[in-house]
Amino acid sequence: MNIFVQSLISGILIGGVYALIGIGLTIIFGVMRVINFAHGDLLMIGMYGTYYLFTLFNIDPFVSIVITIPLMFLYGAFLQKFFINRVLGALPQNQILLTIGMGLVMSNAVMLAFTSDYKILSTTYSSSSVSILGISISSPLVISFIITAAITAALYWFLMKTNTGQAIRATAQDREAAQLMGINVKRMSIIAFGLGASLAGTAGALISPTYYIFPQVGSTFTLKAFVITVLGGMGSIVGATLGGILIGVAESLGGAYIGSGWKEVVVFVLFLLVLLFKPSGLMGKSNA
Amino acid sequence: MNASLDNSRGNTTVNVLLGVVVIVMLFLLPKFVESTYALHIMILIFINIVMGSSWNILGGYTGQYSVGHSAYFGMGAYTTMMLMQFRQIPPWYGLWAGMLAALVIALIIGSICFRLRGPYFVLASIAVAEIFRVSALNLKDVTNGAEGILITEIPPLTIGGTVITDFASKVPFYYTGLVFVLLIILATWLVQHSKLGYFFQAIREDQDAAHSLGINLTIYKNAALGISAIFTSLAGSLYALYVGFIDPSTVLSLELSVSIVLICIIGGIGTIFGPVIGALVLVPLSEALRSNLIGESLISSGLVKAESTLGHFLTENLSHAHVLIYGVLVVVVILFMPDGVLGFFKALAAKKRKEAA
Repeated sequence: MNIFVQSLISGILIGGVYALIGIGLTIIFGVMRVINFAHGDLLMIGMYGTYYLFTLFNIDPFVSIVITIPLMFLYGAFLQKFFINRVLGALPQNQILLTIGMGLVMSNAVMLAFTSDYKILSTTYSSSSVSILGISISSPLVISFIITAAITAALYWFLMKTNTGQAIRATAQDREAAQLMGINVKRMSIIAFGLGASLAGTAGALISPTYYIFPQVGSTFTLKAFVITVLGGMGSIVGATLGGILIGVAESLGGAYIGSGWKEVVVFVLFLLVLLFKPSGLMGKSNA
Repeated sequence: MNASLDNSRGNTTVNVLLGVVVIVMLFLLPKFVESTYALHIMILIFINIVMGSSWNILGGYTGQYSVGHSAYFGMGAYTTMMLMQFRQIPPWYGLWAGMLAALVIALIIGSICFRLRGPYFVLASIAVAEIFRVSALNLKDVTNGAEGILITEIPPLTIGGTVITDFASKVPFYYTGLVFVLLIILATWLVQHSKLGYFFQAIREDQDAAHSLGINLTIYKNAALGISAIFTSLAGSLYALYVGFIDPSTVLSLELSVSIVLICIIGGIGTIFGPVIGALVLVPLSEALRSNLIGESLISSGLVKAESTLGHFLTENLSHAHVLIYGVLVVVVILFMPDGVLGFFKALAAKKRKEAA
């Protein structure tokens, strides 16, 4: 019972970060109908940024997101403007291959620059834990979950209440209609990709105290992000939030009861089942 | 009209003659070329052509973009190697088992994944391949896990007591690869010119229209995947035997799946010779980077000093950069020549001809 509760709680906590990754991917997909295969690599760049901010300037990883968020936003906007934008009307296959190629460029450029050695960002609190009701939980996980929750709340507010947020949602609903209503969809696309990139980068910053940092770390997260978004329903932000937490819990419980080597298989089988039986996802519209 | 018809017929004769000449030259090549390195490159090119062409049947002709073909490649490689290593079954029987295994899993995977379309199919194909990779990592008793399988010698191939070849040099691999390439090109040609191939192409162009014309989507998509998987498995077996070592991170990786797609994209998908061009571009390029030919030639030509930071960087790191170049190539090809190198030059030639006329 104790193991169950412990795995459940740490699953939910790590799921919060997964949700952040998923929301980024789902916003990009919603606005542009492009599946970003470089999503995990954006996260990896966030991790490296955080690592070097910490080792060179001694900036705490949880503080450094203040720098990571705007920088990753600009980087995402740049990628959108000069690369993704050119294939918006192309075949979905070509869009996928373009983002795969961009991901390869990012991970291998990082490998060239910083070698493929595993890096560990160890803060004073990296291995410390807090104890709640007799259950001990890793404290970086708790801090990152709180930050995640705050960012998600801010994002919801942005998308629901501000003009730009509403314009983004309108573009996601119907690109052409939005354009007819005078929304600058190109700008919205740039903002959407920037947002997606900065969310992925932030997720990378948040997990960097608890994860190995290496150039190929992205592909695992790209796959996870797909699972999360498909699970929640492509383009649905609420769905991605729920999907992230669900995957976190599934992984954590799978790791505890089946064995840590197999936890990825649990996730992928879950993914295939969702694709087959409810491809529109938990929150998706049935005709999407 | 007549003139152009005659012209195209003349071209076909020339093409066939040219093809025969190229094939004869390829068969004679090991008699004249002593360099094992040249043979090594040729064998890698052959393996890549088989990989790319088999993906091409599914992706290029039927329009189903599988980014999980490492599953079939790994299936062939693992079946052949495991049968040889643990059951002492010679590989030329083992590779049939590998082909059968790949066909069986292809039909299972196909019956599940072909219910999905477009990006969802791509995602499902990746997920399936990842399940295979993680399983191969974890089933240590069967596959040796992350350690992989290493073979030191291959039993000699004998027919009726006479030794045909003992696989001691690269030459037998060269001929095996060449025969496989001719087989897959023949298979692609047959697909392109048969009723089956027309069904495939109809599905690629518009699957709903194809369906409404009475083409059974599930059967023909699975047929394309089956053919594709069998040949991918063959490439996997040949790779495993040639290199002599396999592990999940080489023969079952997502990177391998991507590079299989890449061979076709670079050359031009849905054409018989696209994958050939793709392999001819990619293999020498990645080998030159891997063995650091480019870095060394820059240094030996005096352009870059070996002691300088740049020289140091080139010798130390450039050998790792071949995947980076893959990435750059994909981005460039998708953005500027979406029909591949072959299509790009064809369009260029057509434009020239138009201007001249």
